[in-house]
Amino acid sequence: MTEKNITLKIKRQDTPGSTAYWQTFEVPKRPHANIISCLMEVQRNPTTQDGKTVAPVTWDCNCLEEVCGSCTMLINGKVRQACTALVDHLEGTIVLEPMSKFPVVRDLQVNRERMFDNLKKVKAWIDIDGSHDIGEGPVMPDQDRAKRYVMSECMTCGCCLEACPQFTIDNSFLGAATFNQVRLFNLHPTGKMRKEDRLDAVMGEGGITDCGNAQVCVEVCPKNIPLTESIADIGRQTTWQAIKNLLTK
Amino acid sequence: MAKPSKDEIHYLLLKLHSLTGIIPVGAFLVVHLCVNSLRTVGVWPYQLSIDAINNLPFLLIIEITFIYIPILFHSAMGFYVIRLGKTNAHRYRYPRNGLYTMQRLSGAVVFVFLIYHLGTTVAPKLWEGKHHFEAAPFLIDIMNGEFQTWQGMLIYTIGIISATFHFSNGLWGFCVSWGILIGENAQKNGAIIFAMIGLALTVLGMATVAEFNMNPVPVEATVAR
Repeated sequence: MTEKNITLKIKRQDTPGSTAYWQTFEVPKRPHANIISCLMEVQRNPTTQDGKTVAPVTWDCNCLEEVCGSCTMLINGKVRQACTALVDHLEGTIVLEPMSKFPVVRDLQVNRERMFDNLKKVKAWIDIDGSHDIGEGPVMPDQDRAKRYVMSECMTCGCCLEACPQFTIDNSFLGAATFNQVRLFNLHPTGKMRKEDRLDAVMGEGGITDCGNAQVCVEVCPKNIPLTESIADIGRQTTWQAIKNLLTK
Repeated sequence: MAKPSKDEIHYLLLKLHSLTGIIPVGAFLVVHLCVNSLRTVGVWPYQLSIDAINNLPFLLIIEITFIYIPILFHSAMGFYVIRLGKTNAHRYRYPRNGLYTMQRLSGAVVFVFLIYHLGTTVAPKLWEGKHHFEAAPFLIDIMNGEFQTWQGMLIYTIGIISATFHFSNGLWGFCVSWGILIGENAQKNGAIIFAMIGLALTVLGMATVAEFNMNPVPVEATVAR
């Protein structure tokens, strides 16, 4: 195979508030290259196609095996992880943009703090012993364990939110990842003890009622989490909760 | 009773939006299309059904309470829901995402169609004071005229298809958001059933349109004043 170059068109932004601009880079094509290795080439030789030497492009990455979610970006307009985006599977000029639903930090880096704030809002954890031992937790049935395992694979990458038509940069929608966590922890025998708190947290503005069932989340989820099942299940749990609230509160 | 919080109001309003789409608005659509389809059986049973409806006691109050107010509420909330999101079906081309866009579009189309439809039927009926047995000949005369131009045919075809689509796709959305259909398979099978219901309602509506177009028969009042 003859040595060819790869053209990368990258959307850049110097500081959080500044205006974005485009730059095009050419990097040598190496076998089995992925987007991260191409960005490393740019880092080594930060010269644009028209010969200008510029500040190297910044990006986030960590695990390089699609389990941490930090290298999530828009590749040719679609959201996915840069580490598993193999150049051999992409054609023509490769367009890289930061995710559009999160505030840009710099170049391809975004701030996904909103996702972590949402996890806090819905208490996406299991209460542990305090200053005193609260005893052994109940046993988890194996069927629940198997169900929970799939849901627990969420790496908070943000693909489901980036692709969601209801999730915008300036609204308060919690999004599929958060609803999946509510289902995950409500299914845990100890986590169940906080079930009503979690449901209350998703029964307001930006909550479960704001889901439009476009179901793009489940299509783009790199971990194949059954997000739409989680959303429908939280729909059921909140419906019962609402009826209970109406009749008992 | 404690004053409901902003979040509780938001939750209840959106739930009510979802519910009013099925009952009473969706239920009314089904009854309306079924009753009108009697026209394909014959003018007499059709007129009989209109007579029955127009001789109901407190008709206007029933219509306002169970049809006009719910439709207005569902529409107002619908336009609010449209503003909550930003469609992206051009970028993420998946069938369900396309239906998400279509649901919003069809809702807006039906809203405009209803202004036209009420403006040419109920509004003149109330304006001219045609009640009880006088309503049927008056309304049938209007409908006979509506389907004689290609513009009228087009308006009703778009209106009916938008309404039946919005209803059947909305039935699916209702079942998912209230947690009736949860599993992937359940959601798929539900979608097939609701698509068939939508198709049946469309056939019903279009058969009525065709009958009016090909066979406009004027009628006399069943019982003279």
